[in-house]
Amino acid sequence: MNKVLLMGQANVGKSVLFNHLAGAGATVSNYPGTTVDFDKGHMMLQGKKVDVIDVPGTFSLQPKDRAEEVAVKMLEKEKGATVVCVIDSSKVERGLYLALELIEKGHSVIIDLNMADVAENANIKVDTERLEDILGVPVVTTVAIRGEGLKELVSRMGEAMPAGIESITKRVGGKGGTSTHS
Amino acid sequence: MEKKLSEMKYEEEGIVKKIRGDLKDRIAGMGIREGKEIKMMTKQPIKGPVVVAVDRANTSIGVGLADKITVEVGK
Repeated sequence: MNKVLLMGQANVGKSVLFNHLAGAGATVSNYPGTTVDFDKGHMMLQGKKVDVIDVPGTFSLQPKDRAEEVAVKMLEKEKGATVVCVIDSSKVERGLYLALELIEKGHSVIIDLNMADVAENANIKVDTERLEDILGVPVVTTVAIRGEGLKELVSRMGEAMPAGIESITKRVGGKGGTSTHS
Repeated sequence: MEKKLSEMKYEEEGIVKKIRGDLKDRIAGMGIREGKEIKMMTKQPIKGPVVVAVDRANTSIGVGLADKITVEVGK
């Protein structure tokens, strides 16, 4: 692994996470769409220097605006990268759409359920183990602004691997992929 | 009763019935899919965007898009 991409919807804390991982000064604001271009830094992973890229927020892999285009292009360029799919724990279902798209495209994905504190306040509990069983990729919980869970996230990045979308479909007992058509 | 999403009133709730085919993928990432419960949160005057809530998440969509989504309201 030589690159880590932080991907997720707008306003789920990718840049906060980036700052923690890369120790850089990316701009973080409380409104979505702050990261239109991307930030690049690096972190140490098991003694190796690894690039970390803070990708603009995107709802899906079908780009609708310039920021999303940047995100999708970046993903295509960095085929072998480990993708950290950051999801707002209080809006998991919405975030899983992108996660499934990333898995469907064959990327090595690890899911970060960020903003766990917000979910807790809203009385939302996420069964991460079950989610991990279903998706077949690592799922970790973090509160990026307080630095909680980051150790686990980093230590499990190596476990990120491509998972078959068909086997996921089988495990949830549904039919068809994430895209209803094209 | 079915109506367009753009015709929903403030705080009115409904279920997404139909989304025009070519738009489905575009908004699925935002959590708006057929069968989803949806609530009108804010409407802006003069064809401004509407803010709807789906699964506790607020999403703002253009009124043009809202015109092409059919919802079932009031049972």
